[in-house]
Amino acid sequence: MKLLSMGCVMVLLTASQALGQSRDALPDWSGVWQMVGGTVFDRATATSQGGVLTPGLRERPPYNAAWEAIYERNLKLRDQNQLPDPINTCGTPAGFPRLMNLPDMYEFVVRPEQTWILTENGPNVLRIYTDGRPHPAPEDRWPTYTGDSVGKWEGDTLVFTTLSTKHSQWPTEGDTVLDRTGLVLSDAAKVTTRLRRTDAQTMEAQMVIEDPKAFTAPWRVTKTYRVQPKGTRVYDYGCAENNRNPVDASTGKTLILGPDGKTFGK
Amino acid sequence: MRMIVLSRTAGVRRWIGGVFIACMALLGAQTLAAHHAGTMFSEEMKEITGTIKEFQFTNPHSWIQVMVETKPGAPPQEWSVEWGSPNQLGRRGIRPSTFKPGAKVTMRIHPMRDGSPAAGFVGAKFADGTTVGSWE
Repeated sequence: MKLLSMGCVMVLLTASQALGQSRDALPDWSGVWQMVGGTVFDRATATSQGGVLTPGLRERPPYNAAWEAIYERNLKLRDQNQLPDPINTCGTPAGFPRLMNLPDMYEFVVRPEQTWILTENGPNVLRIYTDGRPHPAPEDRWPTYTGDSVGKWEGDTLVFTTLSTKHSQWPTEGDTVLDRTGLVLSDAAKVTTRLRRTDAQTMEAQMVIEDPKAFTAPWRVTKTYRVQPKGTRVYDYGCAENNRNPVDASTGKTLILGPDGKTFGK
Repeated sequence: MRMIVLSRTAGVRRWIGGVFIACMALLGAQTLAAHHAGTMFSEEMKEITGTIKEFQFTNPHSWIQVMVETKPGAPPQEWSVEWGSPNQLGRRGIRPSTFKPGAKVTMRIHPMRDGSPAAGFVGAKFADGTTVGSWE
């Protein structure tokens, strides 16, 4: 009988490990959140003038020479309003890690076997598997916008790695960037994120981005999110509902359309 | 952005007002830039006066269509004024009924650099004195 009980306990323990953290041990990440700061991916590199609208002075991610040249080219295109930001076409998802860098509301939904990061803007869903499964083998993975994320709990911190994101030497190929300055990664990028609620008002995502094709060293970026008032509503986001700022595919310019659908300006 | 001249009665009030305007401008700019960069709009601010034709409370951007007075006797010109996502604006109290067709309004905007009748929204004041957006 004792052996049977012990056996039952062993089976239950193994089952709960396979299913991820037990519900009681999971932290409370309820609420609606908004990213702190503008949509420049690495806030540490933005000056008071830097950001979405103005060049400003920025440090670079630790690019190697070839990828630094790509980024320089993208910055020049941005200055001429010729950076064809994929988000403007209202077609493809923002992808990871850009979805950690969006305006509008966030929700962090914790379940034993998965955690979901839901972004109102987009919208986007990032699924982080915590049921013990590993990343698929390289031959069983292919690039997707949000990549493949698996993680585990270290106390109140979710530590997860993301592989196989759809990155490339954009815009000559592919359609994923990290922000409006044209920050890019390669398809070899691996992101390790430590996600936790640091206090009642704050969620923090510490990201370490390694990219053997594009970087000379790992790049650390931290994003924080502030809790919104209780009762805040989140809505859908039909980007294609009334997009009067499409990208002109031939020039890369972002246009402004009048109410009749005709383009303003030259 | 050209700073609006504030009351000269209290230096502190002017400073606070200046900071407030800077913050609101930042908020306004952030809302506008949610979908795309606002490089097509001038940093200079302008006022236009007219009648609301339509308020498109839509994603990715709201648009306020305003019939703007030009020369006396001349037909009004339709302006397209771009604002933020209804998701954000709705959480700040803006509603589809905020800009009613036929309402008379003065608007502060960042016009398109090339002179086209399109602009980024800053703030508006209605005939009854109520204001929307950034208006000191």
